[in-house]
Amino acid sequence: MAKVKRKKKMEPINWHKEAKLIPGYLILILWVIFTVVLLGWVIGASFSTTKEIYQGNALKFLSGFHFENYVKAWSGGNVSTFFLNSLEYSLISCVLLLLICAPAAYVLSRFTFLGNKIIQTSFVSSMGVPVIMIVLPLFSLISALGVLNNIFANKVLLIFLYVGINIPYTTIFLLTFFANISRTYEEAAAIDGCPPMKTFWKIMFPMAQSGLVTVTIFNFINIWNEYFLSLIFANSDKLKPVAVGLYGMINSMKYTGDWAGMFAAVVIVFLPTFILYIFLSEKIIGGVTGGIKG
Amino acid sequence: MKKNKGMIILFLLPAVILFCLIFLYPIMRTLLMSFFKITGVTDSMDMWQFNGIGNYTKLFSTGLFVTSMTNLAKIWLFGGIIVLSISLLLAVILTSGVRGKKFFRAIIYLPNIVSAVALATMWLQYVYSPKFGLLKTFFTKLGLESLSKTQWLDNEHKFGALLIAYCFGMIGYHMLIWLSGIERISPELFEAATIDGANKPAQFRYMTLPLLKGVFKTNITMWSVSSVAFFLWSQLFSTVTADTKTITPMVYMYTKVFGAGNSVTEHDAGVGAAVGVILSVCVVIIFTLCNKFIKDDELEF
Repeated sequence: MAKVKRKKKMEPINWHKEAKLIPGYLILILWVIFTVVLLGWVIGASFSTTKEIYQGNALKFLSGFHFENYVKAWSGGNVSTFFLNSLEYSLISCVLLLLICAPAAYVLSRFTFLGNKIIQTSFVSSMGVPVIMIVLPLFSLISALGVLNNIFANKVLLIFLYVGINIPYTTIFLLTFFANISRTYEEAAAIDGCPPMKTFWKIMFPMAQSGLVTVTIFNFINIWNEYFLSLIFANSDKLKPVAVGLYGMINSMKYTGDWAGMFAAVVIVFLPTFILYIFLSEKIIGGVTGGIKG
Repeated sequence: MKKNKGMIILFLLPAVILFCLIFLYPIMRTLLMSFFKITGVTDSMDMWQFNGIGNYTKLFSTGLFVTSMTNLAKIWLFGGIIVLSISLLLAVILTSGVRGKKFFRAIIYLPNIVSAVALATMWLQYVYSPKFGLLKTFFTKLGLESLSKTQWLDNEHKFGALLIAYCFGMIGYHMLIWLSGIERISPELFEAATIDGANKPAQFRYMTLPLLKGVFKTNITMWSVSSVAFFLWSQLFSTVTADTKTITPMVYMYTKVFGAGNSVTEHDAGVGAAVGVILSVCVVIIFTLCNKFIKDDELEF
């Protein structure tokens, strides 16, 4: 790939060829303009005031930039709680997913044993199962445990659910990754007397780093944006992650009418994944199709 | 090998146990639940009353559920046509040799990483806003008075508005799937075709499309899996509970099982489970049909 890239850059502009591509450029540019206007306006409006938004002057900043929208949304509207909850859920779940799925993916990719194929097939097919198919028994199981009344237990439960539903995807993604690492490393380690489990944690796990990072980014984005399970299993405001919290805020905003504050809340919610994307878009895009193949 | 046995079990156990707890057991139990009459989700098994296929027949004679299935079918079909064709078009443009391919690709995929609640809010509160909305401003500038006054979120336009907003968010993902397929086709094939005098449209029609059959299947499968779970957008776009314009089976099930109990939504977890089974069967049918009619032997994955 790297070679192709360099070749393309050195190519001089061929006006005849570019002219043929004009319709294509036009569509792409219109698409980009729309996306930028959509996000840009919302970001702009979040620094404006409700009155100016209504007058259609959201992006003129006649009365300057209103950072207080953020301060208000952050402290007043519970956004800080939702935000920290989401951060806690996403980060802990991502780490647990790696610790659980990387070993599983490794043995599935390396060893032939009874049940290997069945496990892989079950994992792949479970990715097509609608969440509605699993939510009812989970709900009755969890109610029976009585953890929904205790904040800490409920948090643990939510993380348990986020980890659980992402296990098939994470394992299958890492499986293709481990399968592509040469076996010679383990052979060399075995000759040097390194036990297989130690070989995995000391050699294979670090070697799979780039795959681990990619899958973690995806898990982070998925868990950050997860909605349905959180809606059902996070009942109190103290437990809600951003997606569910924001939904509640938008509903209450209909009565308070603080539009600028609402747009500020929207920005706070999409900012973390957006920033991740700005720095890691190449890796994310490369990983999307990498995950599907399996 | 003996040493490995312990390692295999140890390494697999946590993932497999979690999988059984979160997928296997619930799927089996939901399947079972769908044949029983169950008032509350939390009712223990001895309170269940066997109902045969009663839940299913009841569902298909309930107007609201049939409406929700029709809505879902419309989302799947029309949304599918919109998303798969536009994403294919964008993918073809991106691989036609335009400059800044990576930049365009990144921008088009961007909506997929934004939280759906935030994205839907942007559409609802900005694009479609009757007071300061993007569409209103746009049509006013063009002097199209009647269009600028359109209430995009009234009952007449709501479904279309919902569909377009949802599709916009999905296109980037499907474009990447198309892209990965197109990029796997050897450029030498196209060079040879160009030398033989085939023009671009002909190359697209007779080379790219047939070679993309397998990718097309992936796209349909992914689209079906995500549209079956259509919930959040519908919830955000509906102003009342059980809004017939935007209701989908998942919303129906949610109000049926978890919603506030009233005359519209008498609680019934067995019926809720049946909704889940019906949706899963839909996915399986689509998947089987795809596998039967689209053979993906053309492209090596």
